[in-house]
Amino acid sequence: MATPSVAAEPVRSGVRGRVRAIRLGTWLTLPVLAVGLVLPFFLDDFWISTLVFVLIGAIGGLGLNVLTGYTGQVSLGQAFFLGVGAYTAAVLGQDHGVNALLWIPAAGLVAALLGGLIGPTALRLRGLYLAIVTIGLVFIGQHIFVNLESVSGGSQGRAIPQPAFLGLDFSSDQNSILGIGFNRDGLYYYLSLFILALAMIFVRNLTRTRTGRALQAVRDREVAAALMGVDLARAKVGAFVISSFLAGVAGALYGAFLTHVDPLQFNLLLSIQYVAIIIVGGVGTVWGALLGAIFIEGLQPVLERYSDSIPLLQHSAGEGGIAVGDATDIIFGVLIVLFLVVEPRGLIGIGARARALAIRTRVARSRQAASGLEEKA
Amino acid sequence: MSITAKPGTPLLEVRGLELRFGALTAFTDVGFHVDEGELFAVIGPNGAGKTSLFNVLSRIYRPTRGTVHYRGVDMATMKVAGLAEAGIARTLQNLGLFANLTVLDNVLIGRHHLLRSGPLRGGIWVGPARAEERPARAAAMEALKFAGIADRAGEWVATLPYGVRKRVELARALAMEPSLLLLDEPVAGMSAAERKEVTTLVERIHRERGLGIVLVEHDMGMVMQVAQRILVLDFGRAIALGTPEAIQRDDGVIRAYLGEPLGLEAAG
Amino acid sequence: MTKLVQLLFEGVSVGCLYALVALGFVAIYRASRVINFAQGSLLLLGAYLISYMVIDKSVPWFLAAAIGVAAMVMVGVLFQVFVLRRVTGQPVFTVVMITIGLNIAITALVPAIFGVNQRPDGTGDPIGTGELTVGGVVFTWVNIWSIIVTAIVLAGFFCFDRFSRYGLATRATSVDEEAALAVGIPVRRVNALSWGLAAGIATIAGIFLTAFPRGLDPTTGDIALAAFPAIIIGGLESPLGAVIGGLTIGIVELLTQGYESNIPALGHNFYTIAPYVVMIAVLLIRPYGLFGQRPVERI
Repeated sequence: MATPSVAAEPVRSGVRGRVRAIRLGTWLTLPVLAVGLVLPFFLDDFWISTLVFVLIGAIGGLGLNVLTGYTGQVSLGQAFFLGVGAYTAAVLGQDHGVNALLWIPAAGLVAALLGGLIGPTALRLRGLYLAIVTIGLVFIGQHIFVNLESVSGGSQGRAIPQPAFLGLDFSSDQNSILGIGFNRDGLYYYLSLFILALAMIFVRNLTRTRTGRALQAVRDREVAAALMGVDLARAKVGAFVISSFLAGVAGALYGAFLTHVDPLQFNLLLSIQYVAIIIVGGVGTVWGALLGAIFIEGLQPVLERYSDSIPLLQHSAGEGGIAVGDATDIIFGVLIVLFLVVEPRGLIGIGARARALAIRTRVARSRQAASGLEEKA
Repeated sequence: MSITAKPGTPLLEVRGLELRFGALTAFTDVGFHVDEGELFAVIGPNGAGKTSLFNVLSRIYRPTRGTVHYRGVDMATMKVAGLAEAGIARTLQNLGLFANLTVLDNVLIGRHHLLRSGPLRGGIWVGPARAEERPARAAAMEALKFAGIADRAGEWVATLPYGVRKRVELARALAMEPSLLLLDEPVAGMSAAERKEVTTLVERIHRERGLGIVLVEHDMGMVMQVAQRILVLDFGRAIALGTPEAIQRDDGVIRAYLGEPLGLEAAG
Repeated sequence: MTKLVQLLFEGVSVGCLYALVALGFVAIYRASRVINFAQGSLLLLGAYLISYMVIDKSVPWFLAAAIGVAAMVMVGVLFQVFVLRRVTGQPVFTVVMITIGLNIAITALVPAIFGVNQRPDGTGDPIGTGELTVGGVVFTWVNIWSIIVTAIVLAGFFCFDRFSRYGLATRATSVDEEAALAVGIPVRRVNALSWGLAAGIATIAGIFLTAFPRGLDPTTGDIALAAFPAIIIGGLESPLGAVIGGLTIGIVELLTQGYESNIPALGHNFYTIAPYVVMIAVLLIRPYGLFGQRPVERI
């Protein structure tokens, strides 16, 4: 009797598949990075500028994932920190002529500082109460922005300075690096890609070390975390600081790319967009922010671009169909509901399920083959 | 800051301890001591105040009266987050595992107070953070091996059966390198086979690691087998304190567990 | 002095409407442990339905209102049955986001169906623009009826809650769902009922909120955001708290609106965020609101 030459792999549960799927992320990094680096050469400006919004959304989303996904502090206040970042950039860059190499991190630091001041509220408030206070933060923030006219330009808004460093001028379409021409969209794309990559590496490292584990412990079981020696206050405030830093940087980039912002843009819907990004992508994962941002930030541009070919869709209201803006919102809302009902773990969860399914199929086939061999023996 | 004591100081000393919630008294006038490396059990019928006592010992509740000294230091100034560093580890009755993490990560959190890197070093990874991760993982795997579940290190805690989860919690407590281990009903809700396994594990921990252990349990078999001394609580009061043999013969204990003898029996 | 009384009256009137919206929130929170972010959109949809029936289709107002409220009750029930039941056991955050998604979808659907135009007659101008003037204080009939109808709805709700079987069942479910299941309470029906009720109450509030002089347009649903401070101040699971919270917010809003020009440092339109500032102040002292309860966790 021959022994089967096909070694049967132990069947892994769907959950183990999930663990594998996330570690798969590290293998995917290089190819994805390579694709990301050459992508702009194959796309037209419309797509490149859409990708810039995607990358910026991913940076802010990554920050929110640290706060909500890893530490379990529900926050709808991201819009406030984005605004702080944008206005810090404006004040330092334009009013004081500081270079972007300084005002981009400074935007993050100022937002982080405010995050550190607001963080302690999370110590006293739980769950929904905290969420609503963060909503209040957005409203109060907007109120302050509108009234601080010297900083924000009031409801008219103000211009945000364009970065200029290393011989590159982000306000012009005529830049070149090593003989290759870059327009404005391209420059912003690579700058955002670079910052996102750094941020993702940072957060990924966090999850493999003491701090990342402590944050997740706080999310899962606070009492047990404290018994392990985790300082709850430091963990929660720290999460706010990290999250706000990334939001501030994203806000500065966002404002600079748009060239002009007004306080009404930093509203609750913007915060909700960021929450949607991490939900659709995968709460509590590193890649989730990018995956979610592709969906959420890409939705409206795609609909606008193809509105002529989609029936019922019109550019603006009153032309007999649904306005693109409204359609975006409807799909946006439905997407959120759908993801949460079907796969609360977002795209990463879907990826893990697919992989677990593939493993099960592979094992089933190998078992079939093995039993086939046994029969012949 | 771990605490070492002068020789002769008991590991844990409880005096006149009382916990009240308004008009409700969880327990009152409880006193006992545990020596270094001793295995001490607290038993009593349901509602006797055992878990409340543990919650006071682990600083989750503040006692209304009395003192607790750990290696001679008054614990009144300690906070929950300070216990780990002092050398005290506690398991929870409802299992305080972190459901969204793997087994290994759960045990690694036990090393939290022994590691040093904060968010900045952690995020940069290269350097001190990476250097301390390796020995931390080794220690965690060692604890898992001791508990017999090293092969499950990569699995998600949420999917594990109850018996395995208990072991993860024990491994995690071990990884904390405590001097005092507070075990809250380690064999609750287990089948006979699982109970045997965990009892053996607790005995091994006691024997091979030389820790002081305070155990709260219902299961008499387990307690009589492993405990060196026992405190019996009933309705919040200490009714007996002594060796297993002495406890088994104590009238008050028998009354508490089995009730008063019926009038018929007494007369007959 | 007349200004103060005027502001107080208007504050109470709008506070009553906030209280209704807040009551809807509380009804759902007690049933599902969730804040229903879609409450505003349900209000909006209900108001548009009635408005469409009355203005576009010339349906008599009372009939339209009855149909509108009944339809919205159905919408609430359907939402609970088809969406929420699938996510029982998920963390609260997940369910809250689902209601947020619903809110966005419905709020965008409304102008898509009914057009973006302002409807200054609201749900068909049922009360008109009449007013009473007593001692220099203007009492519009809209405001008077707001208070009266709110009082009726509140009385109805409290009677239902205290004296009816389903009211008792709802309270039991909100305290301990598993225990309620164990004693045979039809928990799913209770939950569906709570959602239906909340949607219906929101629609009633919508009728008065869109009456003269406010009017109806796609942003009317934002009022629900103003009601958040009301439920937080009152505590998420207390109907009485919802009423007190709503009235407080209404009065705070109107008083700040009336007097904020005296304190320019507060900025323009400070009254729009005054409720939130008050809410934060209350939470600093009582992290679960005035009447809220700390969730119990077994150690």
